[in-house]
Amino acid sequence: MSLSSNSTEGHASKESTEQWSWLSKLFHWATALLIFIQIPLGFYADSLRLSPFKLDVFVWHKSLGMLVLLLVAVRLLWRIKSTIPAAVAGTAGQKLLAKLAHSVMYGLMLALPLSGWLVSSATNFPVKLFWLIPLPAISGPDEALKSLASEIHEICVFALIIVLVTHIGAALWHHLYLRDNALKRMWF
Amino acid sequence: MLRAAVKLTVTLVTALLWQPLLGADWQSEIQNSQLNFAASFQNLPINGRFKQFSVKYTTDQAAQPVDLQVRVIVASADMGNTEFNTEIQALDWFNVADHGTAVFTGQRFEIAPKNKAGIAFIAHGKLQLKGIEQPVTVPFSWRPIDHNQVSMSGELSLNRTDFAIGQGEWATGDQIGLAVRVWFDVRMLSNHD
Ligand code: HEM
Ligand code: HEM
Repeated sequence: MSLSSNSTEGHASKESTEQWSWLSKLFHWATALLIFIQIPLGFYADSLRLSPFKLDVFVWHKSLGMLVLLLVAVRLLWRIKSTIPAAVAGTAGQKLLAKLAHSVMYGLMLALPLSGWLVSSATNFPVKLFWLIPLPAISGPDEALKSLASEIHEICVFALIIVLVTHIGAALWHHLYLRDNALKRMWF
Repeated sequence: MLRAAVKLTVTLVTALLWQPLLGADWQSEIQNSQLNFAASFQNLPINGRFKQFSVKYTTDQAAQPVDLQVRVIVASADMGNTEFNTEIQALDWFNVADHGTAVFTGQRFEIAPKNKAGIAFIAHGKLQLKGIEQPVTVPFSWRPIDHNQVSMSGELSLNRTDFAIGQGEWATGDQIGLAVRVWFDVRMLSNHD
């Protein structure tokens, strides 16, 4: 688990100095912040009784959620175009797990806003993101579809929470226990 | 005998041909009729419709309107979502428990400038909704489909607070707008044929 045990993989010394690009870091922490707001905000919005206040809270939830979709789309394009640092030292299993967790998080960050958008559309309720931009409906009013999309949205929320616990746990484990560069190279 | 038969035929044919000029009672046929409304949120429309309503219309010898009555079962309002449909029945909104039907009665009719859709009229009357009566003007077009079927269509705008719809915290138009667009396309059948 130490760097020396991975010497066979060659890049060990190079890995330790590699940094994420400035833009990748910005994307990561901006999305992370939005996700940390979105999860409690979603539960809070859902728990409110129908009132003008609830409608306002949902405008925020939908606006920030669609912002996540936009950020993730641009981020993925940037990820394809830019060079990304090689994987942090670890066993093949750990690398695979990290890669899997990252892919799943990208998938969920797309699936969450898309399913939310579908809930919103199928509910027959319009919205202007940030009180400015009308969000086009991606379906007509459809109760069955609404329930399905709502179910998917919720499953994605719980899946994301589980993966995030692992992800943050792994980052802290690298930083506090292994004392390697993993967190630092994603920090500013 | 033959004379009598010819005479009877002539009378019948004349009566049939003169039919439109004799005045008629018209009644809506629900399957081919729509009564829609659009509330708004952040100035974007939220569409709904009334699934149950009926229109009665009477014309005189000159095919001019003499009477118009529209009855709407308010609880049949459908906004495409069970949650909203339940919510709008409540006290702050339609209060259907106390005011199950809305009625529009035309009192005075005016011929509007002709338009593409057919002959157009303006019905001045009163609308009773949620127990409140207000003067309302309903413009409508009258477009024949065949000898005893006509399409009656039109559009108007109502202010929901005139009828105390959306009270309490909803009374300001900040989120749920005050103007509600109403439009209809009703298939009317003549009861003479
Ligand atoms: C306190 C919270 C967080 C910490 C400490 C953290 C830490 C990290 C670190 C250190 C990396 C770099 C891993 C590497 O270099 O291989 C990373 C990558 C990543 N993180 Fe986080 N993260 C946090 C929150 C989040 C959140 C909320 C999300 C989104 C749901 C997220 C999604 C991702 C993704 C998708 C990657 C992979 C980047 C890529 O390969 O393009 N992270 N995170
Ligand atoms: C990063 C993106 C998002 C996250 C993390 C997120 C999270 C949540 C959470 C935790 C809930 C409460 C639990 C639940 O009922 O599922 C929720 C509910 C909801 N979210 Fe999101 N959401 C996101 C994006 C969106 C977007 C973009 C929209 C709409 C455009 C949206 C619309 C809704 C709606 C309508 C609900 C109400 C509950 C339902 O019927 O499912 N969400 N969201």
